Amino acid sequence: MSNIMEWKVIALFVQHFSTFMNALVLTLEISIISLAFATILGVVFGLFKISKIKPLVILSNFYTSIIRGTPLLVQIMFIYFGVPMVFGFKWPMLMIGTWKVTSMMTSGIVIMSINAGAYMTELVRGGVEAVDKGQMEAARSSGLSYGQAMIKIILPQAFRVMLPSIINQFICTLKDTSLLSIIGLRELTQNTKIIVANNMESFTMYFIVGVYYWLIVNVLTMIASWIERRTSYGK
Amino acid sequence: MENKSVQEETAMPSHKIVVRSLKKSFHKLKVLQDINVEIKEGEVVVVIGPSGSGKSTFLRCINRLENINGGEIYIDGKNIHDRKNDINQMRANIGMVFQHFNLYPHKTAKENVMLAPVTLKRLTKEQASKQADELLVKVGLSDKADAYPSQLSGGQKQRVAIARALAMNPQIMLFDEPTSALDPEMVGEVLEVMQDLAKGGMTMVVVTHEMGFAREVGDRVLFMDGGYIVEEGTPRELINHPKELRTIDFLSKVL
Repeated sequence: MSNIMEWKVIALFVQHFSTFMNALVLTLEISIISLAFATILGVVFGLFKISKIKPLVILSNFYTSIIRGTPLLVQIMFIYFGVPMVFGFKWPMLMIGTWKVTSMMTSGIVIMSINAGAYMTELVRGGVEAVDKGQMEAARSSGLSYGQAMIKIILPQAFRVMLPSIINQFICTLKDTSLLSIIGLRELTQNTKIIVANNMESFTMYFIVGVYYWLIVNVLTMIASWIERRTSYGK
Repeated sequence: MENKSVQEETAMPSHKIVVRSLKKSFHKLKVLQDINVEIKEGEVVVVIGPSGSGKSTFLRCINRLENINGGEIYIDGKNIHDRKNDINQMRANIGMVFQHFNLYPHKTAKENVMLAPVTLKRLTKEQASKQADELLVKVGLSDKADAYPSQLSGGQKQRVAIARALAMNPQIMLFDEPTSALDPEMVGEVLEVMQDLAKGGMTMVVVTHEMGFAREVGDRVLFMDGGYIVEEGTPRELINHPKELRTIDFLSKVL
């Protein structure tokens, strides 16, 4: 890179710092909230999947096969454009205290939650199955119900096993939010697209946004390994 | 059959456990063919037999860790395999100790002991904490209260597991080969705790290969083979003077 090129990167980085910060916050908000909902979905459908009740198993398999069998981009457009049209509603704008959640953001969170939830379902199933069978037997033999044993004994151990994969899923979800640019949500990628449309600096701007993604992903990876070390009880 | 006399003699209301024509199979494999046992309050029954004889399965049927294919099992006169009875409540009265300990690895020794009584609201946290301290003293591990299972030896783990099983104040204790996964030098410490329990009047069913324990602590020994109770009697009768050919054969290999 020439000297001028380097200066340009820094100048554009400084110039657009504030819009990138806003976009970064939005990207993180969507990722974190979606992962939280996805975890709930994952636990519910993951437990359905290993249950002995046939309809629940079928329902859960249906859910994961649809989500894993179609592209996220298609899911986004289907839910944002298609679903409201047929069912005659608009994705609502929400006010939570002073925090404004736009309709695009609401639908973005819904989509990303449902999508990541399917992958979390598989993680939960795998995590629970990885816990030794004797744990459930010990808990049940002391008089705990199936649900109590799950909550107190099995799930905490399953989450320990799943933790690296959960962080990995978080990283995937975070990167996948870039696809939400298709509906005009001003997250990192859409923000870059808008800037490029004005200044035509596609090389520099997409380089800068790449650095943003790379940085958060690596910070998350570091946090992940720190959590992993901390939760290895007594070892 | 000689177990007829045992049945008549013990056909009294003081029975803790009554097993009638119990049958259990895994798919096509018949593991338990026809088991009939009656166990009195405070009795220590030791179950011996070759591997695959169904002794562990028999034990696991008693607290319904396995569903059965025929027969009945009564605990204090209540059929534990009857879906109308509250299985969780009945199990809380039956402590179980496993071959591989099955301690909760994410909880300390003391938390392992406290978990069931607190979760089931039998005791408050403070009461459970006090009780756990007492139980850990009883099994000789008061200094290991805050240790995680991964920091304990096999013998220590099994003693914590016994304390955990006792925390629900059970009237019956089931032991599924409690010393089989232990290094030889740790077997003694676990058997000692079990012996103390037996002396305290606990009703116990113990599946084990420890003939010394069977002889010293057992009130009655059952020899199982091929899904049947082949022979039973006092330890002296059965171990020293076995009558059945299969018992003689088995004992000649393990003694």
